[in-house]
Amino acid sequence: MDEKQVGVLSCSGEECLGGTIARLATRKVMEVLRPDNVVTLCLPLYIAGGDEERDFAKEYPVIAVDACDKCCAKRATIKYSGAVKDSLVLSDILGEDAVLSKIVSARDLKEEHYKMVDKAAEEICKKVDKILTD
Amino acid sequence: MSNIKVIACSGIGKAMGLMAREAALQVTGKISPDTTETVCLAYVVSGDEEGAKKVEGCTCITIDGCPAMCAAKSVEHAGGIVKAKYRVIDEMRNHKGVDAGTGTALTEDGWKIVDELAGKISEKAAELTKEGQSNG
Repeated sequence: MDEKQVGVLSCSGEECLGGTIARLATRKVMEVLRPDNVVTLCLPLYIAGGDEERDFAKEYPVIAVDACDKCCAKRATIKYSGAVKDSLVLSDILGEDAVLSKIVSARDLKEEHYKMVDKAAEEICKKVDKILTD
Repeated sequence: MSNIKVIACSGIGKAMGLMAREAALQVTGKISPDTTETVCLAYVVSGDEEGAKKVEGCTCITIDGCPAMCAAKSVEHAGGIVKAKYRVIDEMRNHKGVDAGTGTALTEDGWKIVDELAGKISEKAAELTKEGQSNG
């Protein structure tokens, strides 16, 4: 595996809009913005004992992306792999009201939601770039 | 009885994870909002006591994308009573060769499969609700 790999682990929370934004922002970073350097780790598999996911997180830097201040993705990473290199809580950059608002299906996303995705993806990229240049 | 918890894996790597997630949202948000609700799987299994309490002793339906069955295993581990387990991969077997999309976006065919699955889950939820009412 390329040494310059960063794992991004998103909470994908199902109870609030922030989970959808976290998920889509992470996918955008992996697919479009930093495709050569970023892989996503599947949080449910990671928590359920996926060896591949946990081993990756032990060997490579991981950024946890959480929707809210419960920080489930960050806590899971610390619990099973020891540490996170960096983390992002979307309520800090998008506001708690927006992040905790009613969940929206991918089918019903509007321009305002995609703007949130872009902003979150931009913040993830800053953290990825910092890790890659350190 | 409390609302039935419909919990999806939301696996981020493949279309099947997104389909599981969207089926849960369809059931809890659109088809059966009065009798079902969803719960953040990550919170349930985070180790936080409050998270586990969300499913402990509750009637649950899980939706997993792949055979790893992370949602079902995790909800059971947290003390949820899983009355039905669905796997998107099983639905895909009824639609061989169909391109359902990716973990980011589904195709029209992918959404059709989600709608079918959500319909089945809503029927099951109605059945479980009825059972729960009969049992007091």
